[in-house]
Amino acid sequence: MRRPTALVTALVAALAVALPVALAGSAADPGVGTTSILIGGTSPLTGPAASYGSVARGAKAYFDSVNAKGGVAKRKIEYRIVDDAYNPAQTVQAVRRLVEQDQVFAIFNTLGTESNLAIRDYLNQLKVPQLFAASGATTWGRDAARYPWTIGFQPSYAAEGFVYGKYIAKAKKNAKVAVLFQNDDYGKDLLVNLKRGLGRSGSKVIAAQPYEVTASDVGSQVAKLKASGANVFCIFATPPFAIQSFVFANRLKWRPLIINNAVSGTSNTMALASEGGKNKSVEGTISTTSLKDPLDARWKKDAGMKLYRSIMAKFGGGGNVNDANNVYGMAVAHETVELLKRLGANPTRAGLMKAARSIKDAKNPFLLPGVVVKTGKGDNFPVQQGQLQRWTKGKWVPITKLWASKKN
Amino acid sequence: MTPRTRRVIGIVAYAAFVVFIAVLPSFVSDFKAREYAYVGIYLIALLGLNILTGYTGQISLGHGAFMAIGGYTTAILMVGNEQFGGPISGGLKDVWTLPIAGLVAGAVGLAFGLPALRLSGLYLALATFAIAVAMPSTIKRFDDFTGGGQGIQLFGVPELTGGVSNVEVLGRSFTPNDWLYYLSWSIALVAFAVAWLILRGRTGRAFRAVRDSEIAAVSSGVSLARYKTLAFGISAAFAGVAGGLFAIASAFVNPDTFPIALSIYLLVGVVVGGLGGLSGLVFGAIFIQYLPLWAQGQDLGSHLPDFIVEETQKPGGPAIVYGIVLILLMFVLPAGVSGLFRKIGQLISARRYSRSE
Repeated sequence: MRRPTALVTALVAALAVALPVALAGSAADPGVGTTSILIGGTSPLTGPAASYGSVARGAKAYFDSVNAKGGVAKRKIEYRIVDDAYNPAQTVQAVRRLVEQDQVFAIFNTLGTESNLAIRDYLNQLKVPQLFAASGATTWGRDAARYPWTIGFQPSYAAEGFVYGKYIAKAKKNAKVAVLFQNDDYGKDLLVNLKRGLGRSGSKVIAAQPYEVTASDVGSQVAKLKASGANVFCIFATPPFAIQSFVFANRLKWRPLIINNAVSGTSNTMALASEGGKNKSVEGTISTTSLKDPLDARWKKDAGMKLYRSIMAKFGGGGNVNDANNVYGMAVAHETVELLKRLGANPTRAGLMKAARSIKDAKNPFLLPGVVVKTGKGDNFPVQQGQLQRWTKGKWVPITKLWASKKN
Repeated sequence: MTPRTRRVIGIVAYAAFVVFIAVLPSFVSDFKAREYAYVGIYLIALLGLNILTGYTGQISLGHGAFMAIGGYTTAILMVGNEQFGGPISGGLKDVWTLPIAGLVAGAVGLAFGLPALRLSGLYLALATFAIAVAMPSTIKRFDDFTGGGQGIQLFGVPELTGGVSNVEVLGRSFTPNDWLYYLSWSIALVAFAVAWLILRGRTGRAFRAVRDSEIAAVSSGVSLARYKTLAFGISAAFAGVAGGLFAIASAFVNPDTFPIALSIYLLVGVVVGGLGGLSGLVFGAIFIQYLPLWAQGQDLGSHLPDFIVEETQKPGGPAIVYGIVLILLMFVLPAGVSGLFRKIGQLISARRYSRSE
């Protein structure tokens, strides 16, 4: 009986000595090579939300431009984009592929609320960073304690809806509000918080119509909303449906005050909606943004947007330079590069998340002047500011100072 | 070749395939086993769809919806829907939900088979397409039962076997990916045998009679109503089991996990595999799982000329590559991979025949 015990003791002792050595030996986390660092994420390159593909392409173009100057800490940033066709089941497969086969350092900029929800538990169990989830759901920031490896980026839909509610309450007395919303968490978050923003102002949501992201058009919804007799029309829809809403409202000769959500508020979407100037319902539309719009004349000589245009020309791969989703992609890519710079020569996954939880960057060249990307103790929402703007004679004109949401 | 030698060859080929499937994970990376598991899952759905479309001649553009029913049955039986305000408390281990997923989807398939009796050809295709279109909205509409758009999370729940830790079966330890592989392929191989047994006997003959001429079938005493609904039921049950496995493999279900595109991919898979043949369906399943990836330049990136890889990176690129490959394949293999196998078989027997003369 004595001998096996001795043997076990010896083994444990050997392990106790060997283990720390072995751990110290394998210092580098997956994806960190000597000349490159690999990150990856999914994006809808095909399917109903394919127009959001430029969120990933814009980010890639920015990384390529940084790589052309030598990368970060002598490492080139390789960003692998996998198509998920906006289908969470495919996101799961693709992300597992990126983590288990390609051994990425972090999952980055994956687009879509449900897609990010589908991979969150998996990534947090494996302790792989889910960096800057491209979705405005509140849960990324709110549930940071439970999911320490997940962080979002853009202002939450909750904050956005609330801001519209406050605006309507102030701008129009006893407004009757009609809402078109996408039938998922994104649309519902906006709607619920719009009502919260209206509060007890006397203005009320009198009609709300959902649509499915797979639907072909929203004509009947717009007709029903018009029939409700509302004088404010909130469009909480993705670009194709937002454009249709403007077109149908115009055909029905409906002229309410229109509020259009940020995801469809880019100038090129608005330009398409105005049908070459024929559609007058577009004039006076209210929206909000945190980004610099590529079509906005204010940024013609802006250093950040000059940088944007030169990167698009060199590394954009033929993408549409007027598509503001590219700007969003560059904004997150810029923030990621800043994080990697802070990690220095030996980046670790844990270090990346620690850095992502203590950002303070007032100089992101692609965000509106004054917008500070900031996280810290108790604040897990990187961007919490935006500016209300009105579509006036073919362009956006800011109508308020920056708004800031405190608790999202 | 006599029918008997053909049957012997078939059984030997099947046995060889079983051995191949059993040893494959030892030769590939752990992650590949997970992707091959999905091939097995698609194979189950394709076997079911081919019974209906290839053997009974009823086109279905709605099999993704039957997979959704199976997937949701599995998910709800595992974690319940009390969290959304539904009546089911769940708690069933993932593997045991699969037969129920098959039964529920099969029952819905039988029920759908009844009105489908009055429709044929394109009209039936449209009717089945309608269920595929309506399914995501229906799931969202009954969100207190299904959890709505946000879906049901299965990762990390105790009912899911595996997750991130290894699985012990009969004293052997499997990684989660290997476990998923063996689970889905053992079911796929059983499904293959079941499909073969159904199709070789009386029922299979009746199915083929319905396909080849409904009038002739009725005059020979084959009940159209009985065999069409039966084909729908069996086919949907296969899809239901596949959907349940799909939910387990993805560890997440929501309405978008079973989109209209899935129904279309399944039909494409059956056509690529070969209507009216079983052996080619494995290739149909590989096609569904891998072509979208290959069309993005993944995996094959280093083997392809640069200009093609560049094309796949552009907006809309993958969809175009997918379409071109599909068209080319239909040019080269109009009867699918099964058709190719049949042709090779015919060539061999023809040569033998001429030699023995």
